[in-house]
This record gives sequence, structure tokens and C-alpha cells, in this order.
Amino acid sequence: MKVVELKAVSKSLDQVPVLQAIDLAVSAGERLVIFGPSGCGKTTLLRLVAGFLAPDVGSLVIGGELAARDGRSLIPPERRNIGMVFQNLALWPHFSVRGNIEFGLKARGLPRPEREQRVAAMLKLVGLENLARRKPGELSGGQQQRVALARALAPHPDLVLLDEPLSSLDPALNDRMRKEIVRLQETLGFTLIHVTHNREEADEIATRLIGMEQGSIVERPLPANA
Amino acid sequence: MKQPTLARLLITVALTLLGGCGQPSETASVTVYVSEDQVFSEPILKDFEADTGIRVRAIYDTEESKSTGVMNRLIAEKSNPQADVYWANEPIRAEVLKQKGIAAPYDSPNALGIPAAFRDPQDYWTGFSARARVLIVNDRVEDKPRSIRAYVAPHWRGRAVIANPLFGTTTSEVAALFTVWGDDEARQFMAALKANDVGIATSNGESADLVAAGRYDFSLVDSDDAVNRMRQGKPVSLVYPDQAPGGLGTFIVPNAVVLIQGAPHPKAARILVDYLLSRDTERKLAFADCAQIPLHPDVPMPPELKPIDRIRVMPVDYAAVAKKLVEIQPFLKSWAGL
Amino acid sequence: MSKRLTLWLAVLLLLIAGALPVLDMLLRSLFIDGRFTLEAWNGLLADSRQWLLMRNSLLLASLVTLFTFVLGVPLGILLGKTDLPLRRALTLLFTIPLLIPPYIVAVAWSGLLQLLAPGGDIAGAWLFGLPGCVLVLSTVFLPIPLLLTQVLLRSVDPQMEEAGRLATGWRGVLAGITLPLILPGVLLAAVLVFLLALGEFSVPNYLRYAVFPVESFTQFSAFYDFSAATTAALPLAGVALILVLFEALLLHRHGWRLHSAGGGIDFLRIPLGRWHGGLLLAVALAGLLFILLPIGTLTIQSLGSYGEALRRAGGSLANSLLFATGGATLLATVGFLIGYLIQTRSLRSWRAVDTLTLFLLALPGTVIGIGLTGLWNRPLTDIIYATPLIILIGYLARYIALTSRINAAQLAQIPPSMEEAAQIAGAGWYRRIFFIVIPLAWRGLLASWLVGYIFSLRDTGITLLVHPAGAETLPVRILTLMANGSPALIAALCVIMIAATLVPAGLLWAILASHRNKRSGEEVLA
Repeated sequence: MKVVELKAVSKSLDQVPVLQAIDLAVSAGERLVIFGPSGCGKTTLLRLVAGFLAPDVGSLVIGGELAARDGRSLIPPERRNIGMVFQNLALWPHFSVRGNIEFGLKARGLPRPEREQRVAAMLKLVGLENLARRKPGELSGGQQQRVALARALAPHPDLVLLDEPLSSLDPALNDRMRKEIVRLQETLGFTLIHVTHNREEADEIATRLIGMEQGSIVERPLPANA
Repeated sequence: MKQPTLARLLITVALTLLGGCGQPSETASVTVYVSEDQVFSEPILKDFEADTGIRVRAIYDTEESKSTGVMNRLIAEKSNPQADVYWANEPIRAEVLKQKGIAAPYDSPNALGIPAAFRDPQDYWTGFSARARVLIVNDRVEDKPRSIRAYVAPHWRGRAVIANPLFGTTTSEVAALFTVWGDDEARQFMAALKANDVGIATSNGESADLVAAGRYDFSLVDSDDAVNRMRQGKPVSLVYPDQAPGGLGTFIVPNAVVLIQGAPHPKAARILVDYLLSRDTERKLAFADCAQIPLHPDVPMPPELKPIDRIRVMPVDYAAVAKKLVEIQPFLKSWAGL
Repeated sequence: MSKRLTLWLAVLLLLIAGALPVLDMLLRSLFIDGRFTLEAWNGLLADSRQWLLMRNSLLLASLVTLFTFVLGVPLGILLGKTDLPLRRALTLLFTIPLLIPPYIVAVAWSGLLQLLAPGGDIAGAWLFGLPGCVLVLSTVFLPIPLLLTQVLLRSVDPQMEEAGRLATGWRGVLAGITLPLILPGVLLAAVLVFLLALGEFSVPNYLRYAVFPVESFTQFSAFYDFSAATTAALPLAGVALILVLFEALLLHRHGWRLHSAGGGIDFLRIPLGRWHGGLLLAVALAGLLFILLPIGTLTIQSLGSYGEALRRAGGSLANSLLFATGGATLLATVGFLIGYLIQTRSLRSWRAVDTLTLFLLALPGTVIGIGLTGLWNRPLTDIIYATPLIILIGYLARYIALTSRINAAQLAQIPPSMEEAAQIAGAGWYRRIFFIVIPLAWRGLLASWLVGYIFSLRDTGITLLVHPAGAETLPVRILTLMANGSPALIAALCVIMIAATLVPAGLLWAILASHRNKRSGEEVLA
């Protein structure tokens, strides 16, 4: 089954074409990595899937349902069951680590015992059991990264979008987090779309790798060591 | 429109700077602080400018209860006076200035003919154009009240209104009653007033309106308030209270002009004082909307007014009234229920 | 060195303009006729009326703060965060009452109510008193939370909202993410409104509601008693001080940086969808009822009196524009320096300076005014006291809190690295300020100039007390003409006053707004 399908999707921002006639389908359980230079339209693609933008032309199907078509969004972001880690993480500074993770669970109306259990499990999964009460501002970069992951994964989304989440980390930490992402995906089984301009990172995470250049998909990007 | 405004702007700046930095000539300008309503006083001062060529720089007062007023400026500026002349709308304020050493004595030649009752014996202030404290009575009332004692007569229970005695000429009159009657009788009167369900308005003007609208039968107001309503064709008439032989008399509130001690332009200041005390100024103020009664004899006046020599005047010592006024403030506050 | 020197000069100016006069007043209340005495103070404490006044003052300020917030914050969201049609025009409409002297709003309302219920009994009883004061001051101060909410909303990182949108609808995001993020700033606006309402004199006085500032004025006008007036103002100052300290303690700790550029989006707008029409109708009706109707009544009353109004007050209008321009320039300049000081904490005294500015804002203008007279009225300083310079000093003291905070908020948006980079490159402080900081912070500077202009233009408290003879401003002239002036004349003057404020304010607003539009690629989406 396809988790996401984009059909002939085009999108312009401020009259500048950003995505051009994109066709893309992502299967359940896949780890799709979109690789490309800055400004090639990767982020816009993710924001389109998440529901923050609607395609000017073309259609978007999520979980078999038509989510957006020709400039109109039909399913709002909160009903697409998507988790996302933003490039700048966008952790909420006024919530603790627990609060950040719990917000989406509360919004989905989970009863308290279940929420507690889910938060505890998530904290354990990302190894932050002892930091639940801290505010994001009191954490290191790697720890913040894990909180962002935990927040995205806690509601058990079908699809997880990662928008260059590792770009600001030093190489060693970047390396650790890649393995972490793969491990989490294998543990939880969600579908992953990961966007990066780091080829090594792309190779390590991807079960399928596509390239993007100037708003179009290049099915076979150049090999890493070319 | 644009250019004149700009020009005016520059002139204003230039003049204010000039006025501050040095006096080009002793009679080039005169600074006057004014408590008489601007609407009435400003035209007089404009005429003065036109007649004498002396530029007037004025600061006007806001309504009595609405600001700290120019009196406070005069007091605050005592050590380095900015004003030459103070035009008070009642002698009480002039008395306060005299007591605080801010006034200077000046016996204007134009003061001749103004009754001694309306002048400071040492010439620290001189009264002119006066308001009388009169009863404004709605015309449907057949047996009109003739005395302020009507306020406490059972017959008029709940039918009379008075402006808040914490403010303005009403305060002065109450203080005057304290000096004429003595404390005990005055306090009894005030208590009786309250017991007789008197209405309290925020100002004399409002009292007059309430009577004109028929909400109350009569009120003690300034003569200009009554004359104004009559000129507007409202069904009211004016009664000078307590005119019976041997009676209390009507309380008179003249304007008062004061020369400021240490005035920066003393020469121009005297010219202005003379001008304000002239028969001509009294005539203008009589025919203006403020309808003030001239204190010089034989000044022409509109028919609604009664010449001062035909009014039985309440005999008061304004200096004593000024002292009493401060003394009874706490009493008045508690009386007004504040 | 030039940096510390300049900042110290700004602080010194503030001390001379604001702190000294207040100190002078305080000393006067302790030394009567040259002797040290607590007479005035004992009188204050013994008077049970003081407690009533305090209760009234606090009640009024609390109710006004409550109303402006309950209405202003949602309105700010509606006009600043949604795709409501006409939102910019409506924002301008709701801002008008803040731009003009508050008593004009009171005059307008009383005119309207007299029109609706001639004779004025019911309307009068209702308007004159606490309800009327709350109504007028709420419309006057509503723009503060309204505008501040709009500004704060723009400082929220849109990705934080998007992260929330993945879990819940806009309602949930607003309640759970956006509003909590702007809460510290909103609370600051609450403190401002509370202080302004507490120190407001002209409206409670016009509507006859006994509060502390009115009492302070009455002390002056009825007794000519400076020490009593000062002591009457001091409980108010005490409340102000407590609030200021509370604000310093509570809010300064929570100053998180909201904005971080990323994702190439600047701002998210909430689509109203089917609520469009209903909400627009409701907001427009509120604007009609609370702003257009009273001001419209004023305009109708004024017809036919403009000739006399201009003849009587043309010069005052020119004075007003001149002094407001001067005041705004002074306030923006010193406000920028003080804002810089507060933001960068360049001097150890920054918090004391910040506190002083808020304290001066809360103090009744009378106290500053009389203090200024006592301090400056000497033959040697006539160049200041006998000229409009004294008015500018008064404006500086009273309103510096507003302009310094606007500048501080703008400077907070600029990463310190910008100035540091210039420093490394060898630029001295002045060069860094003029070529790096000001080009980046010009919008704050301009906004503070505008606010300085508006508050200088609408000031009555200080101007009334210290303006040199023949140099009165329009609001002062209106107040003096209100004594027995015809209602039509007063109405015409009020309308002229409104126009004098709105025209320059509108122009600058347009400049600020157009630049904002260019910057943001806004997105509207479900």
C-alpha cells in the first residue's frame, strides 16, 4: 500500500516555481531519503505533504485518501497522522521535555494513564528518562534532537517527515543520530521521508534514495563517491 | 494653508525664545495668567493688544475642578515670577496671593469709582465686573423664593438643587455665610439643607440646566448662568435673593486683578491692569455672554442686569472669606459625602 | 569609552528630567517652611478617605486592565493573525482612541448619550461614575494589548506553530503554543495599561469619579498645598513601584527568544473559513458602536464651528505639532539609547534605569510638572523654563518608558553577533550604531518616534502645568475653552485634534506597514 502519493504536483512561492510536476509514491515501511542541494524544493515538498501548503496543480493522496488537489487542501495537517522534525527543531520553549512530547497526545484525546505510559516509553526509547522535567533551553543540541524525535513519534504517526534534522550537529553526533533514526524506524515500523543534503547521511538511512534538483525529481542521484 | 502655518510656527518659536531670553523693550509684551473663562477673557486681551500694541502672552485656567490651575503656577513660580498680572475670577484667589506674598500693591487710576467693598484696602487687588449669586427659578413656580433660606424651608423639600459646594463660587458663598452667620448657624444651615433633600449638581451650569428643564424649581447659581438661560429663551427667571430691608443681601463675586510682585514687565503690567479696570472693559463684559455687572457707576449694561447700586450686597470681608474657605474644607468634604 | 559616555549621558538626562523633580517634590513634602516635618504624611495616613480613593483607583485600573485584555488579546489575534478582511483598516480604527487625549473620548461619549437620551438623566447617571470611566478608559487603552498582541504574534517562530498543527487544529495551537509563547509580552502590556489607567486624571475627573490622581489635583486647586498633593500622589507611586518590581522579577526571567529564522516562512495566518462573515460583522459592529458613533457625534456637533475653532486655536495647533515633533525626536533618540542600554545591559545600572522609566510613567503628570517648576524656574535657567524646552523635558520624563521599551524590543531581534562582527572589523561604537545597529533597528526607532509623537501630542497633565505663557498646545487650549465654551466649539477643536494626530500617524503607519509587507511571504492555508 502507498502511504503517500503525489501526482503531477507543481507549486510556486512568490511567483517562483519551486516544485515542477512531481510524481512520487512512498510505500509503507519505506525509508525514503530525498537528497539534494539547498533550495531545490525539498522542504517545500515536505511542507506540502504535511499540509502546510497545498499544491497549485496536481493531487496529493495520503493513506488512500485525497488530501489536497489543485490549490485546495482537503485534510488539515492534524488529521493526516504525520510526525515531523523541523530543521530548527521548533521545540516549544515554554513546555518541559515531557510537555513537548505530551502535547500531541493530549490533542488526540488520549486518556492520562495511556499518555503517561506513552511518554515514558518515548523517553526511554530516546534515552532521556532523566531529563523529562527540563526545558528545551536547558538541553544540549543532541538532547534537543532526541526530544524533537520523541515528540514526532509519540502519537504513533503513519508517516514521519525529517527535514534536515541533523544538519546542525557535529559529525560524531550526526553519525550517532543516523543510527538512532534507523533503529527507531525499525523498532516502530513507521514510514519515513528524510530530507538531507548530506550524501553520507542519505546513504546510511535510505532504503530508497531519490535526488532532487531545481524542483524536479532525479531518480538516480550520483553515487556518493563519484 | 501650508505656508502661513509654517510661518506661524517659526514666529511662535522665535517669539517664545525672544520672550525667554531677554526683554527687548519694557512694554513689548506682558504675561498674564487668567482664571476668568478663556471664552470671555481672551477677546478682552485681544482688544488690549490691538489698542496698545503690547503683545499679550496668556495662560488660561481650566474649569475650576479640572486642573491645578494657574494659581498653583503663580505659587510655584514665586521665587522667579514669570507672570506680570493675574486676572482672578473671584477675590478669594487674589486674597490667597496677597497672603502668600505674591501680589504687589497698585492703586490704578481707573479703580476710582469702584466701591471700596470690592477693593483690597491696601490695593493688592482690585475688583471689577462682578457676578452675583442669584436664584434661577423655573417660571411655572408662582410664589418665587426670595431668600436662600428657601433651601431649608419644608415647602421646598426636594425641589431645590445646588452645585457641589466643594468647588467654585458655591464654595466661596458657603464660606461667606460662615463669616456672616458664624460657624454654628452656618453648619446648622448646611445640615438643614441636606435634611431638606437638596439635589447636588456638578456645576452651576448643570444646576441651571436642571432648573430650566423643570427637574427642580430653583437653584443658587452665578448670574451669568441665569442670564444665559434666559437669553436662550428657557422658561426661567432671575431672583436676587435676600433683598428685603435688613436682609442678608446678595453675595457678589467680582473679578479681581492682581499685579505680581517682581513682575518681569512692571510697566506693561500696570497698563494692562488699568485697561482691565476701565469702564470700557466692564461694558464689554456686561454685554458678553458672561453678563457681568459693572462696578463703576453708570456703565451701560444689558436690561437683564441690575446696576450694582440697586442691589443689596451681602457685606463680606473677602480676606476673612478666603481664610474661612480653607478652614471649612474638611467640613465640606464630609458634607458632600466624599 | 564613547559608548559608556553616551549611555551615561542619556541616563543623566533622564535623571535630570525625571528623577530630580520627583525628588524635589518628595523633599518639599518633608520640609514645610524649612523645617523637617511628617505633618503632610501623618495627615495622609490618618485620612480614611485615602483608603476609599485607593480602592477606587485600584478598582478602576483593574477593571480597565481586565476589559482591555479580555477584548484586546482576542481582537489582536483576529486582526493580526487571521485572514479577516479589512483587518488593517479595522486595526487603525480601534487604535484611534489611544491617539487622542482621553478626555476627548469622554466628551464624545457624553455627547452621544445626550443625543440618545436628551435630558441626560439615565445616560448621565450611567456615564458619570465608575461604569463610564471603565468604558472610556477601556476604549482608550484597548489598542495597547491589541497592537502588542499583533506585534508579538509576528515574533513567534512559525515552525513552532506548524509543529503544533501536526497534532491539533488552530484553536489548540493558539491555546497551547502561540498564546503561552507571547504571554510574557502580553503581561507587560497589562502592566502598562494598569499603570496608565492608574495615573489617568482627565477622564475620572471629567466623569466625576474620585480616584487618587483627581485627589492630587484637587489638593492643588482647592488648597494650593504642594506637600499634600505630593503625599496624595505617593500611594499611587507606591503601587506603581510594586508593579514594576513584580514585572522585573516575573517577566525578565522568562524572556525566551521566540524567533529563529528557518524554513523560509515568516508568518502563518489562520484561515477563518465559514466564520469569515460573522466575525467581520461582529468586529465592524463593535468598531461602529465604540468608536465611530461617539466620534461621529462629535463631528456632527462640530459642524459650523470650524471657523471659530481655527481662529481661536490655530496657533495652539501649530504649537502642538511643533512640540510633538520635538518631543518625539527627543523621546526616540534617548529612548533608543536607553533601550540599547536595557537590551545590552551595558551599564550595571540598567535595571534601575528601566525601573525608573516605568515609575515615571505611572506618576501623575502633576507631580512631575510641579517638580519641574520648582527645579527649573530660576533666573539662570529661564532659557529652559520660560521656553518650550521645559515641555520637552516633561515629555521625556513621562514617556521614556514607552520609547525605550519599543527600542529594546526591536534591538532584541538583532543577534549580538551583528554588532560584534563590526567590532572585530575595527568599527568604533558610533560607527557600529550608525552603520550596523540603526539600519537593522530603524523600524523600532521609527515606531518609537511615532509613539513619542502621539503621546506628546495628547499630553495634558504636564503641558498644562509647565507651558510658557502664550505657548499652549491644542489639548490644553481645549481644556481651557471647555470652561463655558460652546459644545460645538469644543467638538470642532476635538475633531481638529483627532485629525492632527491621525494624519502624521497614518503616514508613518503606512510606511511601517508597507515595509513589513515586502518582507513577509505570508501563507494562508488550512
